[in-house]
Order: sequence, then structure tokens, then C-alpha cells
Amino acid sequence: MSAILRLLFLIVSLSPGLLLLAWDGSLSWTLIDGVRLSLTLTPLAGFFMVLLAVAAPLVALPMLRRPLDWSSLALYVPLVLGMELLLLAGDFISFFIGWEIMTWSSYLLLLRSPRADLETSQSYILFNLASAFLLLAGILFYYSLSGDFRIGPLAGTTFGQELILAVLLGLAFLIKVGTLPLHIWVPSSYDQAPDLFSAFLSGAISKMGVYGLILLLTLFPDALTSLAGRLLEGPAAGYLLAWIGVVTSVVATYKAIAQEDMKRLLAYSSIAQVGYITTAIGVGSSLALAGALYLALVHTLVKVLLFISVAGIVLQTGQRRFKDLGKLIERMPVSFFGVLIGIIGLAGMPPLPGFAAKYLIFVSLVDARWLLLLAAMILASTAAFIYCYKLIYGPFLGHANSPQAREAREAPLIYLVPQVILMALLVLFGFLPGLPVQVLIDPVLVALGMETIGGASWAELTTTYGGYDGVVLMLVFIIAFVLVTGIFLLLRGRMHRAGSPYDLSYAGEVPTEGTPLHYGAGMGRELHRIPLVGWILRRGTRGFYLGLAGQMRAAAALLGSLYVGRPQIWILIAVVVFAASLAAQSMLGGL
Amino acid sequence: MHAVVDSLAMIGVSYVMGFLFYGFYRQFNARVQRRWGPTIWQNLFDNMKFFFKSETLIHGPMFFFGPMIIMAGAFTTVLFVPFLKDSDWLQGFSQYGNLILIIYLLVVGPLGNALAVGSSGNPFGVMGVTRGLTRLMGLEVPFFLGLAMVMLQHETASVHAIMAAQDSLAHWGIVTNPIAFCVILLPFIGSQHGAPFDVVGAPVEVYAGPRVEFGGRLLGVLMTQRMMMSIAKLVLLVDLFLGGATNILVLIAKAFSLFLLTTVISMVFPRLKTEQAVDFFWKVPLGLGVLGVILTVWLPSWSA
Amino acid sequence: MYHKTQCEGFQCEQAMLEVPGEAESIRQGVLERLVSWMRHRSLFVLAYGTGCGAIEMRPLMTSRFDAERFGIVGAATPRQADVLIVSGYLALKTLRRVIRSYEQMQEPKYVIALGSCTINGGMYWDSYNTIKQVDRYIPVDIFVNGCMPRPEALIEGFVALQGRIKNGEKGGYHHYREHIDWYKANQRKVLGDQIPPTYTCDWYHAGGVV
Repeated sequence: MSAILRLLFLIVSLSPGLLLLAWDGSLSWTLIDGVRLSLTLTPLAGFFMVLLAVAAPLVALPMLRRPLDWSSLALYVPLVLGMELLLLAGDFISFFIGWEIMTWSSYLLLLRSPRADLETSQSYILFNLASAFLLLAGILFYYSLSGDFRIGPLAGTTFGQELILAVLLGLAFLIKVGTLPLHIWVPSSYDQAPDLFSAFLSGAISKMGVYGLILLLTLFPDALTSLAGRLLEGPAAGYLLAWIGVVTSVVATYKAIAQEDMKRLLAYSSIAQVGYITTAIGVGSSLALAGALYLALVHTLVKVLLFISVAGIVLQTGQRRFKDLGKLIERMPVSFFGVLIGIIGLAGMPPLPGFAAKYLIFVSLVDARWLLLLAAMILASTAAFIYCYKLIYGPFLGHANSPQAREAREAPLIYLVPQVILMALLVLFGFLPGLPVQVLIDPVLVALGMETIGGASWAELTTTYGGYDGVVLMLVFIIAFVLVTGIFLLLRGRMHRAGSPYDLSYAGEVPTEGTPLHYGAGMGRELHRIPLVGWILRRGTRGFYLGLAGQMRAAAALLGSLYVGRPQIWILIAVVVFAASLAAQSMLGGL
Repeated sequence: MHAVVDSLAMIGVSYVMGFLFYGFYRQFNARVQRRWGPTIWQNLFDNMKFFFKSETLIHGPMFFFGPMIIMAGAFTTVLFVPFLKDSDWLQGFSQYGNLILIIYLLVVGPLGNALAVGSSGNPFGVMGVTRGLTRLMGLEVPFFLGLAMVMLQHETASVHAIMAAQDSLAHWGIVTNPIAFCVILLPFIGSQHGAPFDVVGAPVEVYAGPRVEFGGRLLGVLMTQRMMMSIAKLVLLVDLFLGGATNILVLIAKAFSLFLLTTVISMVFPRLKTEQAVDFFWKVPLGLGVLGVILTVWLPSWSA
Repeated sequence: MYHKTQCEGFQCEQAMLEVPGEAESIRQGVLERLVSWMRHRSLFVLAYGTGCGAIEMRPLMTSRFDAERFGIVGAATPRQADVLIVSGYLALKTLRRVIRSYEQMQEPKYVIALGSCTINGGMYWDSYNTIKQVDRYIPVDIFVNGCMPRPEALIEGFVALQGRIKNGEKGGYHHYREHIDWYKANQRKVLGDQIPPTYTCDWYHAGGVV
């Protein structure tokens, strides 16, 4: 029985992939009079379906490790199905239904974690419900404009109407994406969610917000340009969105550096990465959208990889803070390579595909002449090296800092299989940076009516500003590495390994086990001394929300002061309101 | 075959230029301080001495592979920077790359080495790495902004195309885009580990630094890659701002004059602390860069 | 030379301290000569400022005496250094650190001992916590006499050391490796439990000797 159920679970997790292969044509039926539901697979949705098809089974596989948590598995099924519905939706009704299923099942999954506290779960559900209500409001407003729930470009709308629609839907999706200052539900919920589910939260669910943002662009005839005209070579409305994205990346990157917990660091890094994607969507050119989609792909691969690796570490050691781990490189070599490949992708270093994505976004910013944005983005993406280094140094290098870290064993095979698959995918895309562009991204660009950017071969990534060849790059690097190592070993002279991990040049001192040698927790603390960084790190959005709450309370108190305990005053107020509205109507000529 | 010979030639040229330039640097520095100083070959001697050390201590496999990665990174960087223009030689694989790729390649090696430093288990080394990454964060922003201004000016990221556009002295980048050159110059010194931004390695004085655990032949590897990387960066700037070079002598002359300029600046300023350096990069070069963007990008588009 | 049959431990101190005969005539191939030449032109110095001699090493590096013209520069850590300068008397506490630093240096490595205190204790000859002869604990290649020796004397010491390196003579580190038991016994005698851990030199016993 249990075997059959697990098989069923796996099949459901594979269903996005099967759907991609098997889906053909579209479904459509009438819900009530005048409202038709339709399910189609547009190329844009198809792209995000690919992300889901990669993330869902790879996260599902380690979830099958015994002891099984049946309720988590049961909740995972509607989550995946809801997201499929969301992506297949050709109209906003099914879109909203999918969105709600996703929100509620992910919320219940979050609650399965013993670490989830009240504050986290409350903020998760409140922000996501706010997102859903904004979405609902946006959908109804859209219906009032077009008279139809089908998702398609609007025509004949005024600036004000477009603005309202853009703000309503945009806010809904930005909450899901987690940009500043709407991000505060992200770090704690990614941190406190079940370890494997965090991978899905970051890898797949946050991408639905990205999907929504791109979908929002398609609602307007001339994308963002129609909203407020152009600034330099890009849309002016997008300039605002791009700055929101970049500020999000910068702040989240510094917050990530300051974290002392692996999963919180990854959560903030997710916010930063999605910030880049938001920036690219703001630029809105074909290069930028390609970059956004590429980065979404890479981010899904990388974050699923990293979160599963970290889940393996937490499983084997029970520790999640940098200062409690260390020197796992010899004990968990596969996980080490998982995290290594992951951070290379995360930092956007060549030759892995993270660089290709960043390259497209950088070039699109130069192309749009938005150089200040580019500088701010470079700031975030260079500062990201520090947290990437912290992520690999803290658990894997240095000295073991707790008994569990000293005795840990490699993560179970069921955790390693997804990691190896993801590593292979990342390396493959490193060799062939043009492969995702030609196979996955170009169809989307064609469907959006933009020019394609695919090059002559899969190995090349081309832009109007020049490109690079992944195969040549990778081969040169590998050959150089082999040559250097070979020549080095041919040189005469003896190499020997230090007899003890404490054989360190330590100013003549002899460090012992009790000496604090692991630098994991302190790394990045000195950044506080840089004025700008210190300024960012001292601030939080908590003050903003406290202020908001204070204003709300004051407004409520003002309203409450009307409710004095005497009925004659209510009657007086009712009469006054009635008279005022009559007067207003008569003045407007209604009577 | 051509590619192999060409690659070896590039690596050889950058190595020879590297030790001669740094030998010159040490002697010049000595003369400024009114001493005789070592010979110009001193860096070659030092490097060879380290390569022929008979003992090398390692702290596990990652510690060994780190310097190999950084060296492979240096080779790759050198091979992706075109040394000459209008020539079949000293091109390496530069037609398969571009400016942004080169800038990122410059960082690959040091990050690989950071893994080695971490796996040595020496906290001083990791402190050095953190300082290095912090400085990188500071200098990369104005550096990249300046490069972006160059890319925008020529509307390409290909170094070949940028070089080809500078066909005469009047079209040299330093003449047509002096702001970008000024923006880049100081971060460039920082990226060359030059004073006053050299607190990361802090040669001689400070115990802590990324190299604290490296000795013997591994240190030789680190010295070699640093010389080669420096030359790659110098040549890149020659390509971007001094119109490239058509033969090796011109290349050496141009690279040397640029080197002399950076040396003269380094020689007279005292060392900054890491956070001071970062703050400086974000105030002076970046401020200049923002001004430059407003002048060259915003104003023309408004007046148009 | 030291033979185990002749004497044991401290019985043979005198024999140990003697220079092992005249320098053996060394035959070097071309590569060896080249390597020796490179080595003698480049000495990285770990200046261990144990006593008042440290004050004489600063002018050595700076403009007046300019040791850099001989290829002599300071090194930050023992891993990078070729030459250890013991500058003056060694208290027991500093001895421990000196041994530790010496063992962490990578071969070929040399030691220059500075001042009379390193030769016979100098003015500290009857102190309760300084050692008198440094070369009973680590092998010294060059002694520079004086209290304190001037930088010129130190330079002369360096030049003499360079001459030896250039000729390819065996450095003190060979001696240390071959007679590690004797040195360790001496170190243990004065340091007792405080002797540095042996993992920096354990591998000498594992057949690592060339």
C-alpha cells in the first residue's frame, strides 16, 4: 500500500514534465453564463512549467526518505497540481484558483515544520493573502475594463486605468517575489519551513511571482513603455521597477552576509537573486527578458541544489549555524561539490550558466543606457561573493566546531541523487550557454513578439554587444588546469601533508582544540565599519511596518471615537451623512 | 597548432613582462627611497627559488588544488585578452570572449584560491580573504561603471571591436573618453594589489593575509599567477584606452607607461584600511563615474 | 660525524657542536648549480625579534643599509621564509616559539643567530630562564658575533650564508633532520612538558629524508 502511494506521489511530482510532453491543444468550457474557463499552455507558461518540472520531482525524491511524513506528501500533491493549474490557466479565474491552492497548501506545508513559530506562519499567510486579495482586486478591475476574464492584451484603456491595474497586480506579484519592503515574510518562512520544502519555496514558488510579473507586461499593448513613456533607451515605468529590484538585491545581499544561519542566508540570497530578475523585467527589452528568464532558470537549479545540500547537512549534523559546523569537506564530499557548484552558479562566475544570465542582464542595462542601475547591480553581485564564500567556508572548510560536525557522515543517497542531477545540468549549461536560450527562451520571446537572441550554435551566447563561447571557455580552463597540475607535480621536491589540522602558522603559538579557529560566524562583521553598509545593516523594515501599524491604530481610534455610547449621536451622524450625500448628488445634477 | 604555439607565446610573454615589470617596480621603489634596490631580475629569482623549494606543506587536497585553480584562471584570463590588434599572433582565444567575461575571469582564480585558504584552517588566512572580497566589492563598482561607459561609447563588449575603433591617437579611448579612464584608474590600482589599496596581502608587515599558510612551490605558483594577472589587466587597459598595439614592442611600451603611471601613484600614498579603501572607492571614483554618466549619457539624451 | 655507537644523548654534545669537518667537495650538475644560484639570490627572512638584536635588524632593511640589494626581504610568516634570524638571547618561552617557527619553515631553510647571547649566553650567562647555546636546540648556520653586532656585521653574515648556499653546501636543516632525536632530547630537557608538539617534524621519521 505504502509503495503504491509513494509511486503515486512520484508520478504527481513528475506530472509537470509529463504535461509538457503530452499537452497538446487546449481545454475550454463554460463555467457560468459569459464566463469561460480555458486551459492552454502558452510558451511563457511552458517555460515556467519547465522550471516546475525540474524542481518538483527533485524536491519530491528526498521527501520519500523514511520516516515518511504522510501529511507533507499529501499536501505536496495539491501544491504541485495547483501550480500546474496556475500555469495552464488561459483565464484569470483558473489563474486565481491555482494561486489560492498554491498559497494554502504551501502554508499548511510550512506549518508541518516543528520550528515554524506563530509569528512566521502569521506573516506568511497574511502577506500571501494580501497578495491574493490584491490579485483578486486586479482581476475584477481587469474584468471591468475588458469584460472578459481571458488573459490577453488590453486595448483602448486610459493611463489611469492602466496604472491602477499595474499597481494592483504588480503589488500582488511583488509580494510573492519578495521585493523590498514586501519581503519580510520571506527570510523567516524559508528558514523555518521543512528543510526540503524550502528548496521548493525558493526554487519554484517564488518563480510564480516572476511569471505573474511577465504576464502583467503582456496585458499592456506596448508593455511598460505605454505606461509612462521612455527614459533613455528603456521604459520609464520599468526604471522604477528596476530600481526596486536593485535596491532589493543590494539590501538583501548585505543582510545575507550578516546572517549566521545557513538557511536564512540562502533565503536572503533568494530575495537578492529575484531582485535581479525584477530589474531585468523592468528593462523589458528582449535581451533583458531573456536574461530574466535565464536567471530564473539558473536560480531554480542553483537554489534547489543548495537547499537540498543544506538539508542534507542539517539532517546529518542537526546543526544549521555557521559557527557550529566546519570541516565537512572530508566527511561529506558530494555535498561539498553540490554547494561548490551551487555557489559558482549563484555568484554568476564563468564558466557556469549563472554568468550567462548575468551577462545578458548587464548587456541589456548597458543597451538601455541605465548605467547607474548597472553600477548598483554590480555592487550587489560582487558583494554576493562574500556570502557565497561564507556559505562554503562555514560548513565545509576550517575546523569542525561541534561534536556532530566531527562525526557526520555523507547525506543519504536519496539526497545525493537530485544534487548530482542538478550539478550535471549546471555544468551542461556551462558548456552550452546557448542551449537554454535556443530551446527554452527563444520560443517565449517569439510568443511575446520580440526578436530572438539565439546564436549559431548551442555553445555560443550571442548578443548585439558580442558574446562568448562556452565550450571554448570551459575547455581552455580545463586544459590549463590539467597542464598546471601536471607540470607542478613534475617539478622535483617533496610535498607532504600537515601532520595535524593544528599545524598552522599562528605567530609561533600552538593552537589547540580549544582555540577558536573557525571564522565562520564572524565573517562579514567587519563590513559594518563601511559607512554605507553599516547604514543599511542598522536599518530594517520593521520600523516601517511598526509605523504603518501605528497609523492604522490611530485611524481606527479616530473611527472609534465616533462610536460613543449614545444612540442619538449615531442618528445625528446618519442624518448628517444622508444630508451630505443628498446635497452632493443634487449638486452633481443627479436629482 | 597555431593556437597552441600562440597560447604558449602569450603565457610566456605575460610571464616575462610580469617579472621584468615587477623587478623594475622594486628597483624604482628603492631609488625613490634612496637605496640601490635589487636587480631587475629579482622577481624571477624569487619565483624560481620558490619553485625549487624542496619541501612543500599542504593541508589536504583542496589546499593543493586552490593554487592550481588560480593558476588555470590566470592562464585563461591571459588567453582571453587580445595582446595585439591586426595580427594573427598573441590573440589566444580572445575572439570567443568579451570584456565582461574577462572581468569575471579575473575573479575566478582568487575565489578558487579562497577555497584553499579556507581549507587550510588558518583563521588569519580567512580574514585576509574576507578583506580581499570586501576590497573587491569596493573597487568593482567604479571599475565596472567605467568599463560600461566604454562599452556604451563603442556599443560593443568585444575588446577587438573597441581596439579597432581606436585607429589613431585622436581616437584613443583616453582621449575620447577621459572620464572613464579617470574612473577606472584608481580601482585598477586596487585590483593590481598596489598601494595604497594593498592591505589584503599587506606584504611583509601583517601576519594575516590570504597567503599565510602557503609556502614552497605553492607560493611560487601564487607569485607567478599574480604577475601574469597584472600583465593581463595592464594589456586590457592598453587595449581599451591606449588604442591597443600592433606589435610586441609597442605593446610593452604602452603597458610600461601605464604601469609607470600606476606605480608613481602607488609610491606616494600610505596604505588605507579595508573599510577606508571601500569608502574611498565609493566616494571618489564612483562619484566621478556618476558625474560622468550624467554628463555623457543623461544630458545628451535630455538635450536631444 | 655523529655515530650512535660512540656516545648517546648529552654525552656527545661536543662532537655534535663541531663543524662536520671541512666542507665536503660538492659536485653539482647544471640544474643544481642554477637552483643554488637562484636560492642564494633570494632570501626571505623571518626576523624573530627575541632580544635587543631586533633593533639592529630594522636599519638593515631600510635605506641606509638596504639589504634588498642582496635579494634579502622580510617574510610575513614562517611558511614563506628561508632564513630565520634569532636576534639575541632566548628565554625559555621564546625558545618554544622559535622552535615552532623553525619547524614550520619549508626547506631549504637556514638560521642566523645574532649576538653573543646566542653563542654562550652573553650577559645572561647565569640567568635562570635563558638558554646559552642556541645550536643545541636548533641548527644554526651562521653565528654573527657581537653585543650587538652592527648591521654591517649582519650583512657579512648574510653574504657568508649566500656563499655557502651558492656552493651547494648542506644547510643546518639536514643536520636537524638527521639528528632530530638529539635536538628533541635537548629541547625536552629545558622545556619539559612545554615542548612544542612534534607533528611538524614527525615526518622526518617516516622516511621523508632525501
